[in-house]
Amino acid sequence: MTSNLLVQLLLNGLIVGTLYGVVAMCFVLIYKSTQVVNFAQGEFLLIGAWTCWWLVVDAGLPFWLSFPLTFAFMMAFGVALQMVVLRPLIGEPIISVIMVTIGLSIFFQAVTKWIFGADVQPFPDIFPVKSVDVFGLQVQSAYLMSLGVSVLIMAGFAWFFKYSRMGLAMRATAFNQQVAQSLGISVKSVFAMAWAISAMVSALAGVVVGMVNGVSGALSFFGIKVFPAVIVGGLDSVVGAILGGLIIGVLENMAEYADGQWLQLGNLYTVAPFYVLIIILMIKPYGLFGTKNIERV
Amino acid sequence: MKKTLLASAAIALASTAAFAADGIPVGHLADLTGATASVSKPYSQGVADALKYLNAQGGTGGKAIAFETVDYAYEVPRAMAHYKKLLDQKVVAIQGWGTGDTEALVSFVAKDQIPYFSASYSGHLTDPNGKTSAKAAPYNFFYGPSYSDGCRALVEWAADDWKKKGGHGKAKFVHMGDNHPYPNAPKDACGAYAKEKGLEILNPIQYSLKPGDFKAQCLSLKESGANYAYLANTSGSTISLLKSCETVGVKTQYMGNIWGMDEASLKASGEAANGMVWVVAAATWADDNAGMKLVREISKISDPSGAEARPVHYMRGVCSAFYMKEAMDIAATLPGGVTGPNIKKAMYQKKAWVPAGLDGVCLPSGWKEDDHRGTTQVMVYQAAVKGADISMKKVFTADIPRRTEWLGW
Amino acid sequence: MISTSLIPCGQYKTSYAKDTTLFETPVSRAFCVAGVVLLLALPQLGVSNYHLTLLIQIGYLSIAALGLNILVGSTGQISLGHAGFFGFGAFASAWLNNKFGVPVLLAMPLAAVMTTGLGLLFGIPAGRLKGLYLAIATFASQFILEDFFARADWFSGGSSGAMAGTASLFGFDITGDRAYFYVVLFWLVTMVLLGSNLLRSRDGRAFVAVRDHYLSAEVMGINLTKYRILSFGISSFYAGLGGALYGHYLGFVSAEGFTILLSIQFLGMIIIGGMGSVMGTLMGTAFMVLLPEVLEIGFGGIRAVAGDVAWLTSGLAYAKQASIGLAIILFLIFEPDGLVHRWKLIKSYWKLYPFSY
Repeated sequence: MTSNLLVQLLLNGLIVGTLYGVVAMCFVLIYKSTQVVNFAQGEFLLIGAWTCWWLVVDAGLPFWLSFPLTFAFMMAFGVALQMVVLRPLIGEPIISVIMVTIGLSIFFQAVTKWIFGADVQPFPDIFPVKSVDVFGLQVQSAYLMSLGVSVLIMAGFAWFFKYSRMGLAMRATAFNQQVAQSLGISVKSVFAMAWAISAMVSALAGVVVGMVNGVSGALSFFGIKVFPAVIVGGLDSVVGAILGGLIIGVLENMAEYADGQWLQLGNLYTVAPFYVLIIILMIKPYGLFGTKNIERV
Repeated sequence: MKKTLLASAAIALASTAAFAADGIPVGHLADLTGATASVSKPYSQGVADALKYLNAQGGTGGKAIAFETVDYAYEVPRAMAHYKKLLDQKVVAIQGWGTGDTEALVSFVAKDQIPYFSASYSGHLTDPNGKTSAKAAPYNFFYGPSYSDGCRALVEWAADDWKKKGGHGKAKFVHMGDNHPYPNAPKDACGAYAKEKGLEILNPIQYSLKPGDFKAQCLSLKESGANYAYLANTSGSTISLLKSCETVGVKTQYMGNIWGMDEASLKASGEAANGMVWVVAAATWADDNAGMKLVREISKISDPSGAEARPVHYMRGVCSAFYMKEAMDIAATLPGGVTGPNIKKAMYQKKAWVPAGLDGVCLPSGWKEDDHRGTTQVMVYQAAVKGADISMKKVFTADIPRRTEWLGW
Repeated sequence: MISTSLIPCGQYKTSYAKDTTLFETPVSRAFCVAGVVLLLALPQLGVSNYHLTLLIQIGYLSIAALGLNILVGSTGQISLGHAGFFGFGAFASAWLNNKFGVPVLLAMPLAAVMTTGLGLLFGIPAGRLKGLYLAIATFASQFILEDFFARADWFSGGSSGAMAGTASLFGFDITGDRAYFYVVLFWLVTMVLLGSNLLRSRDGRAFVAVRDHYLSAEVMGINLTKYRILSFGISSFYAGLGGALYGHYLGFVSAEGFTILLSIQFLGMIIIGGMGSVMGTLMGTAFMVLLPEVLEIGFGGIRAVAGDVAWLTSGLAYAKQASIGLAIILFLIFEPDGLVHRWKLIKSYWKLYPFSY
């Protein structure tokens, strides 16, 4: 009986972990390309979810139209954000950049609550089949869709970075900004593109979570969960981010299992990822796949 | 530049002028943007509308009740800071809200002698003289059954339901809620009564007051095999829990506390909430009696079209405001006039008290000097949700015995 | 012509003491002393309780923000977990007072010492991390501390929180804002003096060296780990003291007062004020405390003019929160060196008038 619970929790962790992985991937994308730590990642999910919800519920558009419209909006939003807020801060010390993204996170949280209210808004049912049985665990169709789309996105990312011109330009900029600029790569457009892609993909994750749990301010918490995931995987590794997300997803559910069976603490589900984050920082500060930062005098 | 300066100066002047209030000052705390906003909004709307209506009818003793609804976002420090402001304004009573701030302010309102009408129905607020609970709460009042009594009523219904269903052995009971004073309030008292009624108590499961994904907790719930799950959080996170558990396929009878469910939440939960029972302590919008006619009049103050169907919490807010106002009327006749201690004395004057005009809405209540349990009658309603068809009906009325050891617990 | 109010250009210092003095001119020293005397007299001058509350808030928040400024501004270590230490100080003071009966006025500095211990403990692993990783680690520590406060019944009263007693001096109860103001003022002046002095002492110079170029500092013989840990310890002392003052002011301490938003507000205070400067801390804290009040007045005014607009009344709390984020963003874009830089520019404008350009 308990092993069945374990399997189900594991499965649940993998599914939720894929979403964490997607969001972590977006975070790493921004960090790798622009050296900016985006504390407002969770708010991209939030804004994406609310936009899609508003398009479907208030504007009455069908879902197959709202979904791409949300993407278009998030792309414009990401670019605008980068141009207005982040560009003036190029070259500023890291604390300023961190604080700006933190400020953005607070601002967006408050504004979305103002516009849409503090209540949880349920997403109207999109799929005819609500959930599917996988190994005894009922998986919602929305999660299956997200799994499919996440795999597509990861494959797309891999292809993009390896074979497309823009992807190569991004990798070059991430490696050495000055050399990339001297080679004629427009660093400005690379930055804008990085933010746009990150915003779009985060919006996807946001819409999926919104479909399952309802849209509310709690989506911002995904942005906080992303930190343990990228620390475990390595701040500048896309593969590491995905793995980190999966690990954190599974870890949470394992912590819940341990909590339920033996420890009875009640809160391990929420706080375990942070303990792991600190431990990893102590033992392997650059994560599983991050590049070691060798300091030269 | 000059124009903006002039404009801001004008606004600043106007704002100072806006504070010219004359009347009996009363405080009003609400959570409009915080963790319990979904249930606080209708409740505080009820309080505000009722007070405005009473003012339009002449107020108390010819004077208006001067109040301002202040949002403290369920953050206790903000409530404490606002309380200091209220002291400056020399309020004679406060319409409060949540367990957090009510607990924090218990000793302060006792020291400053200001009756605190809370929307927190925590058990130990019923012990004015500290006979059974560690802290005395002489100046705390609330309309409705306490959380502990509410949970006891649900346990009685569960024991009844178990027998009707022909269940074998002991029914399994689990308490689910966040680690927070409000969900924790009835945990021990209810667990003890459940044991008394022959139910088996399982380890409590924690789920956050903030909405989110609770599949892991639902899997634990499924694993535990609980038959009856008491949901101690507000409706916001309970909706998420019900939906998560529906997906996971948990087969448990859910029992909600008084703030755990209402009409709007039923709509949001959909079929996940089908069959859930919870505590109701006033008439519902669908009821039709003399008192509800008055409530519909009061509702028009913030909703002139009269189209909005108010959730159950609205009626309790109206009752709370009316009880306070009638106590102030009685206090006006006492020597010293409308002061905090007099309002407290006034609360003890009536038995089986229903505010004027609200027959059929508020449960008859009576407070005593050594027993602040206003009412021990609990109504249990059950929800029926089939597609878009949503309804709720009363399935049980419990009269919880007034045991002395249960005072303050 | 060298007047007493103008700082002459060029080096005219004739002694070491004159070089490291806290006040550049006699006039600025006089202003500072006059300011303190004015603050001492304020409660007697009949200023309203509400303004006194604001000043007390600025007081204990400044003390904590000053600690953060020493950590972030002077030593260059980003800490997103300051609210955790602030809360620890508050809980520790209440705990000492409730459990052991330590008088409140003594419990406050003792609680600060306890918080220093916690800060040194956190500083040990933090000394190995730099920049971004330190920020993330302190971010995680904030959540861990928050969870600890909600769980540790024996220490913090668990989720229900703890009562914090009233201070008393020689049996004379310090109740009411007017009396408590003096306690806060005493500690504020003491900590500001200590902080300013720290920055001109040997350790302070070591901190600045660690911030500016830690590799060179290490080459010069400054023990990086020791100074990083020391910086954490000192900033925790300030945070603990501020927290203890806060706890006893409210009379009740609960875990939900010490969220990540408070940590961000502390960082906002020092960024808006100006990092690495004591005066900047005071200015930034005053800005942060007064911003919600200004918004409230503004909203009240708009309400008086335009009537009870629905989205306005519900939006005040959100507007307050949004304004914090917006203020941080705008200051970082337009005034990255903070209010103290703007103040210096204004001062020099008037000093050099009519030759300011």
